[in-house]
Amino acid sequence: MPFPGWAKVPQRKEIADRCVEALDALPKFRRGHVLRMGELGDRDRAVLVERHLVSKELAAGKSGAAVISRDQTCSVMVNEEDHLRIQVVKAGWHLRGTWHIAEQLDDALGGSLKLAFSDRLGYLTACPTNVGTGLRASAMVHLPGLCLAGHMDKVSRALNQDGLAVRGWLGEGTEAAGNVFQISNQQTLGLSEEAILKHLGGWIKNVVEQEWNARRKLAQEEGEKFVDRLARSLGVLRSARLLTSSEAMNMLSHLRLACDMGCLPEERRHLVDRLMIEGQPAHVQARAGQELDSDGRDRRRASVVREALKDFPEVVPPTA
Amino acid sequence: MSQPIKCSLCEEAATVHLSQVVHGKVTKVHLCEACAQKGGATDPAVFQLADALTTASPAPTLTCPKCGFTDIDFRKRGRLGCPDCWETFGDALGGLLLKVQHEASHVGRAPAGTLPAGQLRRRLDDARREMEKAITGEDYEAAARLRDEIAGLEQQLAHS
Repeated sequence: MPFPGWAKVPQRKEIADRCVEALDALPKFRRGHVLRMGELGDRDRAVLVERHLVSKELAAGKSGAAVISRDQTCSVMVNEEDHLRIQVVKAGWHLRGTWHIAEQLDDALGGSLKLAFSDRLGYLTACPTNVGTGLRASAMVHLPGLCLAGHMDKVSRALNQDGLAVRGWLGEGTEAAGNVFQISNQQTLGLSEEAILKHLGGWIKNVVEQEWNARRKLAQEEGEKFVDRLARSLGVLRSARLLTSSEAMNMLSHLRLACDMGCLPEERRHLVDRLMIEGQPAHVQARAGQELDSDGRDRRRASVVREALKDFPEVVPPTA
Repeated sequence: MSQPIKCSLCEEAATVHLSQVVHGKVTKVHLCEACAQKGGATDPAVFQLADALTTASPAPTLTCPKCGFTDIDFRKRGRLGCPDCWETFGDALGGLLLKVQHEASHVGRAPAGTLPAGQLRRRLDDARREMEKAITGEDYEAAARLRDEIAGLEQQLAHS
């Protein structure tokens, strides 16, 4: 069967039907969701992208489908660049556990679908950058310390040189809003999955360590200015009448940093994380239940954030 | 008026122009906004890919007997037409694969959790070496994981 980018419309339909049928039968997707991109409106597709459940590429076409588990940790995209793209996302530091779920899904799918595989080249993908394991192991990390200290370019270069890609909030070709980055392996051929995870895991540990060093150094050297910066962000978020998406992301990033550093109670971090997602343009419109122009979105975003943060405690000097 | 420069990956007008200087040799790649965004013009691997695609010596025209995809299509799209294209274009892609992936053969898993015998043996050798290294480095957690993997691989080999 041709890859989706080369397949004719009836072939893409057949790919979608066969893959969706096989996926829908798996226990992992019991009471989950089957979403066909052609049946969804622009806003719904954009919400799925903002939630990292489907890629921009899948959302842009009409013939794609996504099968999503009930807990939204697994989504399998059909008719994206390849016939199948399994995605498993878990919060926290669970690189191996996450891979294990993807591996089980791949095994289960291999039972009902004949997957394109060659002994010499591994899983055969449309693009040579994915052939082999086809594994893109990725960690989403929040790096405000390295960004504020001006070290992020240097870190990105070091990661690139050692075969890792650094991408923005929504993956390939997106900006690093809110100091959130996705770090992933580039090489998929000639390395075992275990080696890919080990390489990425080692670097992530290193980057996290550098991030904490940068944060501590900033807090120590800037003293009151550091706390002032975080407190100002809380002040703006609590009072602004208009908030652009990138402004909100960057200030919420400061609040997240404040939670990590003990300047705000740690248990408030989940609310900050939620606002980072719900402040995205399609989410703001979905919540409003209508299409909004840019000003309308900024107004609505500001009001949602103001409401959520109204009884937030004050920022205090760091304890971390 | 001069013609606009075309994207090296598709036929659109190029708006992103990359230059790479290696040992005094200048290589230029032109991309349209969509291709640049898609690949991430700042991503060195993509640069290498675009580089390999645009500077490769003109190959004889190859056509996949299964899906009709040609090497010209590959130069335009940077992606193959179907899994059988790997058979048709395999040799022609060898150099590009080495540039993008630095390796030419797969050592990971296979569908349904089984590895073909050749790969099983290779992985078994690697795992044994990694376990020795883990023990020397006193990383007993990794050593235990590798020990289990080795036992599994030996079992699979016995049944293959």
